[in-house]
Amino acid sequence: MEKMTGTDFSEWLRGRSDERLRALVAARPELVTPVPAHIDGLAARACSPSAIGRALDRLNRFSLSVLETLALRPGPADRETLLTLLGRAVPDGPGQEALGPALDAALDLLTTRALIYGPEDALLPAPGVADALEPPAALGPPVAEVFRHHPPERLDVLLRDIDPAYEGGGGHTDGGRPARERLAALLADPATVGRLVGEVSPQARAALDELVWGPASGRLPNARRDVDTAGAQSPIEQLLARGLLGATGEETVALPREVALVLRDGCVHRDLSPGPPALEGPVRDQDLADRTAAGQAFTFVRTVEELCEVWSVDPPGVLRAGGLAVRDLRRTAQLLDLPEWAAGLVVEVAHAAGLVAAGEGEWLPTGGYDAWRIKATEDRWAVLADAWAAMERAPGLIGERDDRDRPMNALHPDLRRPGAAQTRARALAVLESAPTGLAPTPESVLARLAWEQPRRRPALRDRLVRFALREAEHIGVTGLGVPSSHGRSVARGDGRAAGLLAPLLPRPVDHVLLQADLTAVAPGPLTTDLGRRLALTADVESKGGATVYRFSEQSIRRALDAGQSAGDLLAMLERHSATPVPQPLAYLVTDVARRHGRIRVGAASAYIRCDDPALLDEVLADKRAHLLRLRRLAPTVLVSKTSRAALVDSLRAMGYAPVAESLEGDVVVARADARRTEGQLAARVTATAAPDPETLTAAVRAMRAGDSRRRPVEAPEGQVPRSPATATISALQEAIRQGSRVWIGYLDSQGHATSRILEPARMEGGYLTAYDETRATVHRFALHRITGIADIGR
Amino acid sequence: MSDGPLIVQSDKTLLLEVDHPRADECRKAIAPFAELERAPEHVHTYRVTPLALWNARAAGHDAEQVVDALIGFSRYPVPHALLVDVAETMARYGRLRLEKHPIHGLVLTSTDRAVLEEVLRSKKIQPLVGDRFGVDVVAVHPSERGNIKQTLLKLGWPAEDLAGYVDGEHHPIDLREDGWTLRPYQKEAADAFWHGGSGVVVLPCGAGKTIVGAAAMAHARATTLILVTNTVSAHQWKQELLRRTSLTEDEIGEYTGTKKEIRPVTIATYQVMTTRRQGTYRHLELFDARDWGLVVYDEVHLLPAPIFRMTADLQARRRIGLTATLVREDGREGDVFSLIGPKRYDAPWKEMENQGYIAPAECVEVRVTLSDDERLAYAMAESDERYRFCSTTPAKTRVTEALVRRHADEQVLVIGQYIDQLDELGEHLNAPVIKGETKIKERERLFQAFRDKEIRVLVVSKVANFSIDLPEAAVAIQVSGTFGSRQEEAQRLGRVLRPKADGGGARFYSVVSRDTVDQEFAAHRQRFLAEQGYAYHIIDADDVGEEDPAR
Repeated sequence: MEKMTGTDFSEWLRGRSDERLRALVAARPELVTPVPAHIDGLAARACSPSAIGRALDRLNRFSLSVLETLALRPGPADRETLLTLLGRAVPDGPGQEALGPALDAALDLLTTRALIYGPEDALLPAPGVADALEPPAALGPPVAEVFRHHPPERLDVLLRDIDPAYEGGGGHTDGGRPARERLAALLADPATVGRLVGEVSPQARAALDELVWGPASGRLPNARRDVDTAGAQSPIEQLLARGLLGATGEETVALPREVALVLRDGCVHRDLSPGPPALEGPVRDQDLADRTAAGQAFTFVRTVEELCEVWSVDPPGVLRAGGLAVRDLRRTAQLLDLPEWAAGLVVEVAHAAGLVAAGEGEWLPTGGYDAWRIKATEDRWAVLADAWAAMERAPGLIGERDDRDRPMNALHPDLRRPGAAQTRARALAVLESAPTGLAPTPESVLARLAWEQPRRRPALRDRLVRFALREAEHIGVTGLGVPSSHGRSVARGDGRAAGLLAPLLPRPVDHVLLQADLTAVAPGPLTTDLGRRLALTADVESKGGATVYRFSEQSIRRALDAGQSAGDLLAMLERHSATPVPQPLAYLVTDVARRHGRIRVGAASAYIRCDDPALLDEVLADKRAHLLRLRRLAPTVLVSKTSRAALVDSLRAMGYAPVAESLEGDVVVARADARRTEGQLAARVTATAAPDPETLTAAVRAMRAGDSRRRPVEAPEGQVPRSPATATISALQEAIRQGSRVWIGYLDSQGHATSRILEPARMEGGYLTAYDETRATVHRFALHRITGIADIGR
Repeated sequence: MSDGPLIVQSDKTLLLEVDHPRADECRKAIAPFAELERAPEHVHTYRVTPLALWNARAAGHDAEQVVDALIGFSRYPVPHALLVDVAETMARYGRLRLEKHPIHGLVLTSTDRAVLEEVLRSKKIQPLVGDRFGVDVVAVHPSERGNIKQTLLKLGWPAEDLAGYVDGEHHPIDLREDGWTLRPYQKEAADAFWHGGSGVVVLPCGAGKTIVGAAAMAHARATTLILVTNTVSAHQWKQELLRRTSLTEDEIGEYTGTKKEIRPVTIATYQVMTTRRQGTYRHLELFDARDWGLVVYDEVHLLPAPIFRMTADLQARRRIGLTATLVREDGREGDVFSLIGPKRYDAPWKEMENQGYIAPAECVEVRVTLSDDERLAYAMAESDERYRFCSTTPAKTRVTEALVRRHADEQVLVIGQYIDQLDELGEHLNAPVIKGETKIKERERLFQAFRDKEIRVLVVSKVANFSIDLPEAAVAIQVSGTFGSRQEEAQRLGRVLRPKADGGGARFYSVVSRDTVDQEFAAHRQRFLAEQGYAYHIIDADDVGEEDPAR
């Protein structure tokens, strides 16, 4: 291979148009972070192993094959040479026709990305590319590499055995050339290799065939053995004795690259395909798939809502290490009637969408959930689907054990898998590209991904892709395995998913079917108002596309308790029922209403009874009695909120002569010194001094803020204007008075200048107590360290 | 969006809108794999359970058909998870098969080796199987044929029983269709059973299940053991068989508390079969007394547990179960499935009513108000006495009298739980009372007199709950019951559902005390009846006299 210099490359680069350079850095943005000082810098960076590695990672299998083929050429090549070389590897058929255009596209791409350079008739891989490709096309190391550590005597034996023309010794041929070079030339010669292969046993040839298309090395105990053609016993020894295999270590042998290329019959690759492999799988009706996916989407949204509703009254605890306990997940799965993996997905997506979060040691729905809940179903789904697509986590791993054999819990930080989102996005992109109605099998999706980025195989990629496909089905991105129209939109990220989904979802209905078995069937999602009214009057029995409600004595009573009358209820039912109200239901409502409220319960602390109603009339009429808040329950009974003792005193003051009665109705004989109050127990005074109100307020604000928004506020860029101490203090006092926020410059205890957003609470003894929004905590600040203050409003 | 009549719920219930133009078509499509749970006036509820799906598989339906039916008729998209679940559940049936091997006898075979490995690892299966021949075949002890089916069902891998049946002792039995003919559904039911081998036929009360039994016997043409609920029912089976088939008096034996005849066709009661003396069942030998070719189980939903155990040993004989409902209050539907067999025939109640095979019925709940004294006494009564107290209030007697007067020219059955109350009613109504102590002879005489319309009103206790054929009862008045059992309700209603000679409808009154536990139990009944699709309304006792009797 011709030694190429970095200068050629950077000169070539310099000669490219600005437009081409823009295309280069657009395709390889890492080259300009940070921006190099000059084109040489750009060239140097473009040739660095890491930059080339990243560029190679982005190539598909065909482009990579083109590059490999070029890199394996001893010198520059033109398009026609490459076409011939690649053409041998492409099976006959449509592939051959597509090869030419595909090659042109690949060459253009590789040139744009500066992975190859030079004039069109003498293309070369960019410096560093060949090294980065090592080993190319699953080939073994070259002869020079394989036999590098063979002692000269071994090479002598070897050459003598296989080269009739060999004369020499001590590692050098007669011409003084190193024996290794001679060997390399020999093994690159098809005739010699053909002869050598012809000599070995069929088993040896079979072993060779195994290694030709890679992997090109194998394990062999005591690989560095001394063998010659005469003494070779096993098939492997026959190969070793002829240099068709060489020991590359104590226990490894490899097929030299030159030999493999000869055995590959001039091809570098096998079954090369100029285009991506087609997605395979059953074909279904796209409309049906869309509807099925929409059904699943509807179910998924409802499941998330159900989860949040359950967790808002009965939240599971947050484990000490974070995450959700296995037991809690199992309980949730049971509750949602889902397998555990699906429950894990629901929980994770709800979390990723910001609908549930950890708070006060429990997993609780957030304020975001309340905002989400009132949106239309399709919008709610879009939020969930987007959150899922962008999630850097692998919910599919829940329940498995990690490296340290601990179970992996849902919502646990360990479930983070960098690259998960990207892998999912790629899988979605493949789904997006699937033809209408095709339900791609996971295998064909994996094959497509392997073709698109053959060099990039993130850990777990295959599993993550399978997870993504399973989850896509569960979320409703695919239906019957076919990517749905709204699912494709999620994959594209064009924000049209909700709009596409909406017409497929059940429309809200404003009527129910009432039946004599005291059920109401809502044949679709109800309008919000009717839904709320029915939820008050009846219990939900079954959910799904429709909702079944059941009326019972308890549920009717609940509605009556909420202030509805029997008439209201019946009118509401009649108005919203598609059929007449069944007689047993109407009877139930009136029957419950008949008994409702017949017994009344109230609170009073004392009563007045008197056998003479006229006397009670008189008491009630007395103006002074207004303060006693008397109420007549019956002609001879008054009740009052006043205590018995106070009532007795007041009545005495008004000139009556009441006596106190005990619970059993006996007269309580009271002496002046035996009187006791019947007032409420005095609140117990606590011994500890309570903190002052400002601190309490600040603490409550901190808790509130922590609930709704855990993220600290960013202080504005730049320096706070310096202000004199007096101005600072008066500004702080003003902020405390108004409860507004300020932006301060502050020297921390190490003397570093920082800038904070504060909500000042209290100032005393040279210190300011304030809620620090930048740190999300309440903190005390030394006034003398505040360098400046600026108002940023409320 | 399709506008199908079906809504698929996430709890695997299916809601069918009855008034939809495609409702009928849809009902036919889903009936094989979904059990009708409720059939009120507008929306019927079906439930897809594993058993129902396996029943469908046993009847030759496949998952594709089920999924097509769900998708084709559903108004809203069907959640994919549910479809997958359906397919997976259905795929479980028949992976394992019980077969007769020419050399090894009874064997368990599988098309899915993994499943066979899984079940063979189960501790519960191990004692039931013997040697393994090859990878896919395991011997099963012939005596464990029933047990292994039961256990496999519990493990979720129901086995298909293809091991065949013994023919049993041949005995000629023919239907004698003189002056009557087998109704189409009865023929279909008997044929479906015969082709399936063994299984259960579900027909509503009054639809002539006995005749289906007789038709099954005519198919088998072999000695038959019939298991029925009680002695009176045994007599009726005998009468019916004499009337409908070529069997003669001395070919039919009764094996009851009093008689112990074993003849080519023997009718035994559950009670006598489950009688134990010193811990052993004394009449087990009946099962081996003859080489029975067919075993008939009447009222399968009432089959007592010991009979299940005995049935486990009868797996080589053909079995037919007859019932009005597959719902068992003890939840042993799975045992019926694995031991008697899958559902072979099912006809919707309402449809038979429309075709005039059973009488339409109207249910009326009459609420009586306790007097103030009674309310006080009720409030003070011990909790275990309360039901008796409120359900035997004299007010009920008065209302019952009024109702009987109203239906003065119809055959009226008064049904109750408490003997005192029934005696009192008998006295007031001047009607004979049938209760537990009434001799069998006397009972039959009274029933016959009622059928012949010599007696117009008959007061009966719960002895008449089952299998007593009183076709002419047009009105039933229930004054007290056993705490609102659904079973009992179905049976009692069945009394009046037999088609009337004049083709008229039937009325079923329940007299209930307002604001008491009686009313709470009535609520269960109301729900059950409304779910069965009967018109139901509630009136006050004061309205009884005023209601237009012609309605």
